[in-house]
Amino acid sequence: MQAIMSSLQTIQNMMIQQFDLKLEDLAPDATLESLGLDSLSVIEFMFNLEDELKIKLPEERVEIKTIMDVANLVDKIVAGQKGTAQ
Amino acid sequence: MPGKKARRNSLCMGRRVVITGLGVVSPIGKTPGDFFSNLMAGHSGIKRLQTDFIEKLSIRIGAPVDNFNPGDYFSKMQLTSIERFSQFALVAAEQAIQDAQLALSETEQLRAGICMGSCMGGAGTIEEGYVELFRHDSSRIKPLTVLLNMNNAAASHMSIKHHLQGPNITYATACSSSAIAVGEAYRQIKHGYADTMLAGGSEAMLIYGAMKAWESLHTLAQEDTNDAGASCKPFAKNRSGLVLGEGAAVLVLEDAERAIKRGARIYAELAGYGCSSDASHITKPNATGQARAIRNALHDAGLQPQDIGYINAHGTATLAGDIEETKAIKQVFGAQAASIPVSSTKSMHGHLMGATGAVEFIAAVLALQHSAIPPTINLHEPDPECDLDYVPNQGRTGVKLNAVMSNSFAFGGSNAVLVAKRFS
Repeated sequence: MQAIMSSLQTIQNMMIQQFDLKLEDLAPDATLESLGLDSLSVIEFMFNLEDELKIKLPEERVEIKTIMDVANLVDKIVAGQKGTAQ
Repeated sequence: MPGKKARRNSLCMGRRVVITGLGVVSPIGKTPGDFFSNLMAGHSGIKRLQTDFIEKLSIRIGAPVDNFNPGDYFSKMQLTSIERFSQFALVAAEQAIQDAQLALSETEQLRAGICMGSCMGGAGTIEEGYVELFRHDSSRIKPLTVLLNMNNAAASHMSIKHHLQGPNITYATACSSSAIAVGEAYRQIKHGYADTMLAGGSEAMLIYGAMKAWESLHTLAQEDTNDAGASCKPFAKNRSGLVLGEGAAVLVLEDAERAIKRGARIYAELAGYGCSSDASHITKPNATGQARAIRNALHDAGLQPQDIGYINAHGTATLAGDIEETKAIKQVFGAQAASIPVSSTKSMHGHLMGATGAVEFIAAVLALQHSAIPPTINLHEPDPECDLDYVPNQGRTGVKLNAVMSNSFAFGGSNAVLVAKRFS
């Protein structure tokens, strides 16, 4: 749970920084579309996310609609990377 | 009812095209008004560049658009996918649309389009990508690289923003790109494919790789040791080449009848456009090819050489270019050549490459509107081989002008000439 909270926060902070969005609009269940992110902004955001969190997102398409979907994906990857490291 | 033959003739002649809006983002002004005031005042936008790579260049001058803060015009989210050259174009387009008070209905948007010119598109984005790949050995670059860089990005963003759904075409003919774009947009209206067009060009290539490439070609001006702003000296004996600049210019062109009907303010009629290819050398200019473009433009405008009261020269300040253009003007204008004011405003705004033709055509249109001719600055040592009236150092006001011309002659030999005349 702790890990989920921290990646969510990082994602929110990055969205504030990258797109000038406001924290109060960034509820976990807010859809990216409702925040004004189109498919290209999402691609750009995920690219920056890889840099920021030193992760590698999967090549295959993953259904992402909300901020929480992004956080869940990140956490899954982080957990997977830790597993591999161990 | 006109007969079949009359209708065919009128179609052949085409419709009249007028200029109803102007937009400029340049090294000497970010509005058409500031741009023209600075031209008349002889102010130069050329300076030593303050960039992190500048020490690696031998030629360290350029004509940048200073104090251009993208955040003043775009949200951070928009900037994710809008490159500097597209930003310039969108700002210039917005100005032109406001200036023309253009408010197109949904139906009219279907017959409104865009022609733009650019040499290098989003060159800065490509360079960033190369740095990542080749210097940092990254395995990945920004995912939007293709979309930021593509030459037609500027025109496409303009189309999307203003819902213009007619032709959307980007021309790349080096230094004449945006003159060609304006001319081809004029033809779209003249021949009935569109009723309203945004036309111009955009360039943002004051970046290390592009500047080094130009430096390597040995066509750039040496920095004037006393005053960097005086480094570009078209038609002068001591000229040493061109100075790279950046920016954008956009004109609103309309079918004249439409413009009159909606009560638009009309700057001028875009009366003629002529182009030609030198078909002789990839860089060496050719007076005969240039003269052909000038004649074609005059013919298209239905004007005689004596009707032209001012020529905005291509005037790059290269050794060969200025002499060849002088010869071309003499070939067409004959004995009258010496009495026609010809100025190179590149001496002030630099060479905006894919934007330069449109920027300079706007200078000529504003000259017509204000009865004022901008000077060629830094012309203190005449070259005997350049012996026309280049309006040296001091602009002229109160000059009655009925028609003006703007020359654009490109590497590769693509020549384009535009003629504007008072609308009546």
